[in-house]
Amino acid sequence: MPPKGPDTPPEESNTSTFFTVPAPIKRLFDKFPLTTYPANEIPQRLRPHDSVNQLYVFADASGARRGRPSFNPQCLKWQAYLKFVGIDFEITPSNNHASPNGSLPFLLPSLPADASNPIPSHKIQKWAIEQVHCEEEQQLNMRFEVYASLLDNRIRSAWLYMLYLDSENFDAVARRLYVNPTTSNSVVRAALGHQLQQAARDELLKTSRYIDAAALEDDAGGAFEALSTLLGEDEHFFGRPNPGLFDASVFAYTQLILDDTLGWKRNRLGQLLREHPNLVQHRDRLLKFF
Amino acid sequence: MVLQLHVWGPAFALPSIDAQCLAAIAYCSEVLPKDSWELIASSDPSVSPTGELPALQNGSIWVSRFRNIVDYLRQYSEGAWNLDQNLDDVQKADSVAFSSFIESRGQSLIDLYLYVTSQNYYNNTSPAYGSLLQWPNQWILPPKLHGAAKTRTEHLGLSSLDLQAMEDQRKREHSAAVASGQIPSNLIQQPRDTVSKLLGRTAQTNQFRLEALTADFFEPLEAMLARSKTCLLPADDNNNPSSLDCVALGYLSLALIPELAFPWLRDAMRAKAPLLAAYTERMRSRCFGDAPVEAKHAFQPVPAVLPWRAPERISVAAVGNTLLGTLADNTPFLREVRQNRRLKQAVEADSAFSSVEKQVLSSYADSSNKDMLLSIATAVAGTVALVGYMVHVGLLSFSTGGFEEEEESEQDAGVLQIDPGSAADFLGAF
Repeated sequence: MPPKGPDTPPEESNTSTFFTVPAPIKRLFDKFPLTTYPANEIPQRLRPHDSVNQLYVFADASGARRGRPSFNPQCLKWQAYLKFVGIDFEITPSNNHASPNGSLPFLLPSLPADASNPIPSHKIQKWAIEQVHCEEEQQLNMRFEVYASLLDNRIRSAWLYMLYLDSENFDAVARRLYVNPTTSNSVVRAALGHQLQQAARDELLKTSRYIDAAALEDDAGGAFEALSTLLGEDEHFFGRPNPGLFDASVFAYTQLILDDTLGWKRNRLGQLLREHPNLVQHRDRLLKFF
Repeated sequence: MVLQLHVWGPAFALPSIDAQCLAAIAYCSEVLPKDSWELIASSDPSVSPTGELPALQNGSIWVSRFRNIVDYLRQYSEGAWNLDQNLDDVQKADSVAFSSFIESRGQSLIDLYLYVTSQNYYNNTSPAYGSLLQWPNQWILPPKLHGAAKTRTEHLGLSSLDLQAMEDQRKREHSAAVASGQIPSNLIQQPRDTVSKLLGRTAQTNQFRLEALTADFFEPLEAMLARSKTCLLPADDNNNPSSLDCVALGYLSLALIPELAFPWLRDAMRAKAPLLAAYTERMRSRCFGDAPVEAKHAFQPVPAVLPWRAPERISVAAVGNTLLGTLADNTPFLREVRQNRRLKQAVEADSAFSSVEKQVLSSYADSSNKDMLLSIATAVAGTVALVGYMVHVGLLSFSTGGFEEEEESEQDAGVLQIDPGSAADFLGAF
């Protein structure tokens, strides 16, 4: 619409259509924008994922920059596995809300460039096998799944108890790692902490009628003993020349249990684990990858 | 002193309906001299102070859970009653790992098979509980166990085995469609699924997932058995079973023996693991006797392979206790108090805990009691705030001022206007 002279009364133009802007207002808005600022730079940590695979894990910002181990066993397992099979990736601190399936870790592959479909954790192994043609270790040894059940059940239960339900550890470790970074509001923090503990309690009560700390620790002790026997004098589990998925699964727990920088107040699992020097050495060897 | 093993009662021609109890029975029948123990089908977890079955009673001492019973028998007999004494380190590690494997994977499969699969639960499992439980437990316990099995297997994503859950889901979607007004309620067609139609569909969609689950479970066991021939983990040169074989028997016999309406687990086992099926039959007749166990044997004992002893008739006090307990467990805040108390009692009763551990557990129970008080306080504060807000806005009024009354009646009229619509929606959903 051509601009009208300043003398033209606005009523006349309104007769033609309802949607015409009254001239004085139009003149005012013609002056905008007064200045245009240059676009903000993209944040440093959010470089457009051009050439590097991004693994989204629980981590703090400084640890993520240096590629330190994640403090969540599930995330650390896949972080370690990708390192062991030799896939380049960067880790990005994240939380469950960011994940398409509600749980971390997930991976955003760099190739192919157009398809940015995130890969959930249970498909990472398949993706890695396609990328670097490593072995699917479950097929090589029938004991893989059997001994993995020790980690997924007995050690995980004891870990849940130690991290979430032991109140001293919860205040010293879990609150600092999982609750405090999300918010500074103390009411929300209290609610989140309560939710985390309740979830851990519900998980443990699924399999038994009451939570028996001594039994959980005994079971974990037995599991460590069995894993220690399985490892024996070998460098890696099942006598493999290079570490693989099973080593990553074991490392995910042994690293966090033996990591004193987390600030455990009462580390019963650590005591049990240190009774088996070969597992401790196994963890030390693998820590060199980071 | 005669040891007494309290278990869930017999069903499906097996001496117990629960896998852990079957394992305990098999272990006791292997390790204990015949006249030194009795088997009691009490079928009520509340008989034991730990609240769990299987429970071994020796005078005033109660031990529950299979592994604790194995440990206790070894200590009590100073090493004589122990099936695993001749195992070397590698075998011991295998025993621990395979037990964990069977208990975790096997329990999920049994849960799916006996409880989550609707036609099996309503046709077989539920009636079996009905015949072995006494009043009023037969009305209280099966739904509890059913619910627990469902929550345990939720993560497997096989809820479509559960016809009831599917029906609920369909109803929810239906009423949601009505409520959102997308479709006039009388135009929505009622998808009348017959049971057989539902069964056919679910059987197909679940087939792939179940194939994978059963293969994951049976393959390592079949491979292990192919190597050792007679037992999963022979305890000595004569191929006697070890404690791992007892655990395996507990779970595998529940998969193989019961005659169910939809026998997918038994079919999978026979097809994928023929050695394992033969082994389970062999172990079963060795531990439980050749003849199928009938429920009445447990209550009117006849001389049999297993040393049955009739359970005591349930007393009036016990009935009252159960009813009160169930009522309390279903009352929101009371339930949490009871749970925490159960944790504490168990700790104090078990002398094996060190004093430090006891203190820690008690403090945990105390702190969760505090949590509970906190949530009561939050709820009360929330209610007070809501009522206060309603008074403030004028929804509730305690004064008798004319203007406020007018406002109140207007509000009432508004509420009344909403009501018929929502009631119609509600009825339309049915």
